[in-house]
Amino acid sequence: MSDQSQAMVRIELDEQSHIATLWLQGAGGVNKIGPAFGQALLAALEQLQQLGGLSGVLVASAHRDFCVGADLDYVYRERDAQSMFTMVSALSRGYRQLETLGVPVVALLCGSALGGGYELALACHHRVALDDTRVKLGLPEVTLGVIPGAGGTQRLPRMLGFQAALELITQGRLLPAPAAKAKGLVDALVASPEAAFEAGRSWILEHPGHQQPWDKKGFRWPPPAPDSEDARNMFMAGSAMLYKKTAGAYPAAEAAFCAVQEGARLSFDRALELEIRHFVPLGVSQGAKDMVRTFFFHKSAADKLEGLPRVESDEIRKVAVLGAGMMGAGLGWLCARAGCDVVLRDIRQAALDQGMAHCADQARRLARKKGADEAQRILARIRPSLELEDLRGTDLVIEAVFEDVGLKHRVIREVEPLLAPGGIFASNTSALPITDLAQASQRPERFIGMHFFSPVERMPLLEVILGAVTDDATLGRALAFGRRIRKTPIVVNDGFGFFTSRVFAAYILEGAQLVAEGHAPALIEWAARVAGMAVPPLQVFDEISLRLGKHVVAGSRPYLGDQLDIPGADLVVRMVDEFERAGRADGAGFYEYEDGRRRGLWPGLADLAGGPPAESTVEALAFRLLAVQACEVARTLDEGILRRNRDAELGAVLGLGFAPASGGPLAWMDRQGLALLVPRLDQLAADHGRRYAPAQVLRDMAEAGRGFFD
Amino acid sequence: MPERTGFDPCWVDDVVAGCVTQAGEQGACVARFAVLEAGYPREVPGVTHNRFCGSGLEAVNHAAAMVASGYQDLVVAGGVESMSRVKMGSDGGAWWDAATQWSIGAVPQGISADLIATIHDFSREEIDAFALRSQRRAAAAQRAGAFERSIVPVVDKAGLPLLAADEHLRPDASLEALASLKPAFALMGERFGLDALTRRRYPQVERIRHVHTAGNSSGIVDGATAVLLGNQAVGLELGLKPRARVAAISVVGSEPLIMLTGPMEASRRALARAGMQPSDIDLYEVNEAFAVVPMLYMRELGVDPDRVNVNGGAIALGHPLGATGAMLLGTVLDALEDRGLATGLVTLCIGGGMGIATIIERV
Repeated sequence: MSDQSQAMVRIELDEQSHIATLWLQGAGGVNKIGPAFGQALLAALEQLQQLGGLSGVLVASAHRDFCVGADLDYVYRERDAQSMFTMVSALSRGYRQLETLGVPVVALLCGSALGGGYELALACHHRVALDDTRVKLGLPEVTLGVIPGAGGTQRLPRMLGFQAALELITQGRLLPAPAAKAKGLVDALVASPEAAFEAGRSWILEHPGHQQPWDKKGFRWPPPAPDSEDARNMFMAGSAMLYKKTAGAYPAAEAAFCAVQEGARLSFDRALELEIRHFVPLGVSQGAKDMVRTFFFHKSAADKLEGLPRVESDEIRKVAVLGAGMMGAGLGWLCARAGCDVVLRDIRQAALDQGMAHCADQARRLARKKGADEAQRILARIRPSLELEDLRGTDLVIEAVFEDVGLKHRVIREVEPLLAPGGIFASNTSALPITDLAQASQRPERFIGMHFFSPVERMPLLEVILGAVTDDATLGRALAFGRRIRKTPIVVNDGFGFFTSRVFAAYILEGAQLVAEGHAPALIEWAARVAGMAVPPLQVFDEISLRLGKHVVAGSRPYLGDQLDIPGADLVVRMVDEFERAGRADGAGFYEYEDGRRRGLWPGLADLAGGPPAESTVEALAFRLLAVQACEVARTLDEGILRRNRDAELGAVLGLGFAPASGGPLAWMDRQGLALLVPRLDQLAADHGRRYAPAQVLRDMAEAGRGFFD
Repeated sequence: MPERTGFDPCWVDDVVAGCVTQAGEQGACVARFAVLEAGYPREVPGVTHNRFCGSGLEAVNHAAAMVASGYQDLVVAGGVESMSRVKMGSDGGAWWDAATQWSIGAVPQGISADLIATIHDFSREEIDAFALRSQRRAAAAQRAGAFERSIVPVVDKAGLPLLAADEHLRPDASLEALASLKPAFALMGERFGLDALTRRRYPQVERIRHVHTAGNSSGIVDGATAVLLGNQAVGLELGLKPRARVAAISVVGSEPLIMLTGPMEASRRALARAGMQPSDIDLYEVNEAFAVVPMLYMRELGVDPDRVNVNGGAIALGHPLGATGAMLLGTVLDALEDRGLATGLVTLCIGGGMGIATIIERV
């Protein structure tokens, strides 16, 4: 143990300058912080203290990254509060000893420093980072359901002031090194690792006996001072703004805020302990495990295409995007950014102009970060065209035309012959079965569904749908291409609405149904927020348009007949046909709009409702809005649409904004306990309809006393 | 007070003062130092209470309870607040704490007042009309000298008056001028997100209508007051003529986020203790912390507006937090005497969700 832990941190002493370098050299080429790391650090510090005449310490990484933060295997496993408290306390004590050695300490950030890694840098007196946007710095803990535990919530506010620190910590934002320098997260940027060492050594020689600001007598906070009126007002507004954003669904963000506010009035060492006492209950909580599983384990596995066919290269150089709407244009931009030549095709010049304007807008944004030349080069790869002939020789076609089988068939017949040999035809349909669309294809084995989410530049998910005869090579190439445009993939089998659209429809139609049942619309929307949903159902229904909803429901009938239990659809039809309120684009929907801005829920909704509903509490509505989605997820498992649990979580959370803090619908069901959930769903099904009926998979697992992630 | 009333202060068992923001110049038990400054014998002690806006009446009720219990015979009760010198909120407190805010949902009172107006559907026009009524009644009362015998001028060392009459009144107020004022709590509610904190308890309120302004909320002023309470024996001994007796007191907690709805329940409890109905009360003083507070009170208790705040209220006269409750007691007693009526009820809404009430009868 001690050999292993000492090997994680190695001391190298320069006899001439008496500067010691602490080399972080964790196993497997990655510096991760687990129990052994804290021990290794303490042991190394003890060694340093024995050395006479030390003039300073450099902290550097022997690997690509400086330190990626906590060992999440450890966090995921550890459920004992005392053990975690001991472990984090040791780490925090180590950091404290490092900053109080009595000699200047400099962090050399030649690679990313995340979470506990960046906290180590904060415990150094000076931070030098490589001037490279690939070097990321920050405290992302809240995005995994925990908070910084090794001084991050105490040192960062004392360095940057409350407001800046709270913003970074409660949002878990990572900054590329140049932006981090601008915000004060690092003190100096250098061009190379050698220059970093040089800068570190000079700083040490120029700052003998340096102390952290908060260890100096008469330390003053960056204004406002903690006990000032300005600080009080800022905390009050800050906590209100946080609640406005989270509706209380993110306990980690709240705990981080409390640690900052409460720690500000304590001595530094007590403040460090307070932070740990906020950290540990979250660290051992199921919520953190669920977020770690989904946002780290599942997401990394999907990004690495674990368990999926992998190809050397996708061999896609020329891409054609059919349809130049928001989605088509956005896709065109992403493909061009990934280095492809893109033909953006539409049958209307006006649509092309609009699409290219969208791309030009993206280019302007990119120019600010990467320079005008790079942005122009990318934009020049996109060629708008009305001509079919321009599609000749494309390796990948992504069609994003109107959702109509006849139209799509026509387009497929028209375009497929122009593909390069081995070319792939992908449909971005959000609901139509791929196998049906592929009927118009001469090469259905190279026909695949690639369902992107809007706005495609921001939404991280790609839902890949396999037609009945789509082959593995095509899947492999589609996945490799998805990786190139930096999307996280899920792979599902075919069926109307596949996975995500079915779950999404269940959510927003239930929102409409709750209105029809007479629940106060404001209560429905708030209940969704309390449940943790990223966007409330009526608001998002307005965004995608009720007309589209009506169209999709009608389109589902040939496939699903009346097997669907979606009573909410009736209200949607009335909203569109009777009241001409089809959503935001029409200037009227569930909400009222003024100059395109949402003003508030339409008071007329009250007249569309049935009698007063039985149970109209936030808790009951929040439960129904999640349960109706979870039930649909379980049915897609039963039907074999979903192929793995990982995809349920990533698809729902990244694609639909399903309560991120829950970890996903399966984790949410686990948390309810299947044995308790199944009878509750049976009751809901009896009261409200069979959309709540638990799928067989749930009954079987409840019977066996199992969960999805035992 | 000893000079005005003519008694020896050595008989005073205690001096009880309400004071809300006990920081800075009025920190550290201002009552004790007021006693010493006033030249009372050093044996007379002092205590300072904080029940937020109910502090002045709390002092009266405390004194009444001590006298009624027989533990003390003669007590001076009242309160003080210098809001111009000691800023509201400058004493800190748990409601500045984020965790407390999220769990209890504490918001500034103005947002609570706007929330009441939203939930109970009071329009800006109605609220401004009430404010105008307060101004007109206060101006008429001041012209008629209704406040005169209860006001002690503040003078400098040469005996020249510094402050001899209420200064906060706006006798020239008009509906147009009131309507032109900006809502005072919209910025903090909407821009700084504080409205969102009300959703936890009032999830059905999609948006708060911000209707309260500087013109229809209580004024931020300085003030101090004192009331003498004693039992019959000490009264006879000192030859003092009693003006009224305390018939019932009550204090109660209410929902802390909406905060200002306590007066109804406090009054119901006081009435029940006194064996009275709302109709038995001749005159009411319901503190005008915000116009909506007395408006909701009148609606909920079914009280005739002509019996409520007959000489105006804090919208016109100001609300020196720690003093107001005891001041209103004097105001209602003066008004009862002027009109030859018998019973009065004083009630105030209180921060943190509380209400306090006192019923008096002239003797």
